[in-house]
Amino acid sequence: MSEENWIEVGSTDSIEEEDLIRFDHQDKTFCVYKLTDGFYATDGICTHEAVHLEDGLVMDDEIECPMHQGIFNIKSGEALSPPACEDLKTYPVKVDNDKIFIKID
Amino acid sequence: MKNNITILGGGQAGIYAAREIRKNDTESNIKILGEENLLPYERPPLSKDFLLDKKKEEDLYFHSSDVLKNENIEFENISINKVDFENKKLFAKNDNVYSYDSLLISTGSENKKLTLDNNLKNDIYYLRNLEEAKKIKEIVSNKNKITIIGGGFIGLEIASSLSQLQKKVIVIEIGSQLMGRIIPKQIADLVQNTHIEHGNEIILNKQIEKITKKNGDYEILLNDNTLIETDFIIAGIGSTPTVKLFENTNLKLDNGIVTNQFCETSIKDVFAAGDVSNFYHPFYERNMRLESYQHAQNHGICAGKNIAGVKTEYTSIPWMWSDQFNLNLQLTGICDEYDEIIERGNDINNGVIYFFLKNNKIRGACGVGIIGKVGRDIRITSKLTEKDTIVDKQILSDQNLKLNKLIQK
Repeated sequence: MSEENWIEVGSTDSIEEEDLIRFDHQDKTFCVYKLTDGFYATDGICTHEAVHLEDGLVMDDEIECPMHQGIFNIKSGEALSPPACEDLKTYPVKVDNDKIFIKID
Repeated sequence: MKNNITILGGGQAGIYAAREIRKNDTESNIKILGEENLLPYERPPLSKDFLLDKKKEEDLYFHSSDVLKNENIEFENISINKVDFENKKLFAKNDNVYSYDSLLISTGSENKKLTLDNNLKNDIYYLRNLEEAKKIKEIVSNKNKITIIGGGFIGLEIASSLSQLQKKVIVIEIGSQLMGRIIPKQIADLVQNTHIEHGNEIILNKQIEKITKKNGDYEILLNDNTLIETDFIIAGIGSTPTVKLFENTNLKLDNGIVTNQFCETSIKDVFAAGDVSNFYHPFYERNMRLESYQHAQNHGICAGKNIAGVKTEYTSIPWMWSDQFNLNLQLTGICDEYDEIIERGNDINNGVIYFFLKNNKIRGACGVGIIGKVGRDIRITSKLTEKDTIVDKQILSDQNLKLNKLIQK
């Protein structure tokens, strides 16, 4: 695991609990979440249609797409409710000195 | 116990029911009988991304044939022309007979047609299935001035797509506002402005007196004597449940097939789901018939559970959306039973939502905004409606205050 793959997203207080922020890096876009037990990251675009999840609803460890209500588990990326049937990719997250980092492969 | 479960209708409700039955019943035979020679596919993109060439036919299918094969769900392209509920048999046009133990009817709905002279019947186009979408897509490629009769969801979505294809579009609506059947006027007016800003012409409160074919083009005469010249006509004037097959049977019909909250019809072992069903909604304590993506899916799933013996009430709060230009419009609940309206936001770029309250509880809400701007709040609203929450109106009306504060955990 090389250090350079950890990308700084922002400070830990930039996300409210049970909420998310959008993070764009190079040509990719991600969602970074703060849940009750820590920070998590997934791809930013819904697997059903090319809609950004940044405006979706975060609740009970789940993200719900704002367009068609597909639901994913934020921690595992599992597609939980149709129309989404393809899982969402997740990324490792670490916190260092109140900064959030995600590991992009 | 191994049963023969037959699903009549190969659309969204049918396929979701089939898969849900299989989740709960690994033994029974499940067969979908579909009139279109296509696996179940998504219809919403037909008027939008399909016309705009952003989605191809292969992108529309809910599931591949492998999924159906793996789950041992049979799909047959056949047209049924007679039902014998007493002996539990379906008769096909080609003389095939299908026996069932349980039947799900998910035949959907069909387009209302304009009353026209016979010589014009093939000149007006409608959009419901893939074949029709393909035809429209092909023909409009060399047409310029297109008239859409009917200012409902389908007509406006087509108007939006054709405008994006640089066509001159006129929409003629008989009512005093767009989408008048279910969308509040405040929201409809915002959508109308967007159409006009993009160059579409919207004509309200006008009826069509006559359509005349002239040198391959058409002249549409309105009831105020306005004459519109156009080279292609598409009509989207509503739909009716597909129930002709059951008209002379004991199946109880009233604006579709009457079902209870368990998707059960008036005949034992016969269920109905999706557009064709006029179902009892326990939350609203009334029957309703819905034509939407979410409903077809969730009602199908609920029917599947009940057919498989998992008794489940259908309590889903209605939800639907429409995408036009860069706008996403969403509706939850019902917006016609209220004693108070609360507005949230006033700029379409940030999203505008109208909440319809009765006794300080939300019964429905409708919002529109740039894509992504109203979905979260509308979803929270569905949850608040479902939980029958007494809401803080200050939070509802202030876009700076997050709605999830209102959800009681």
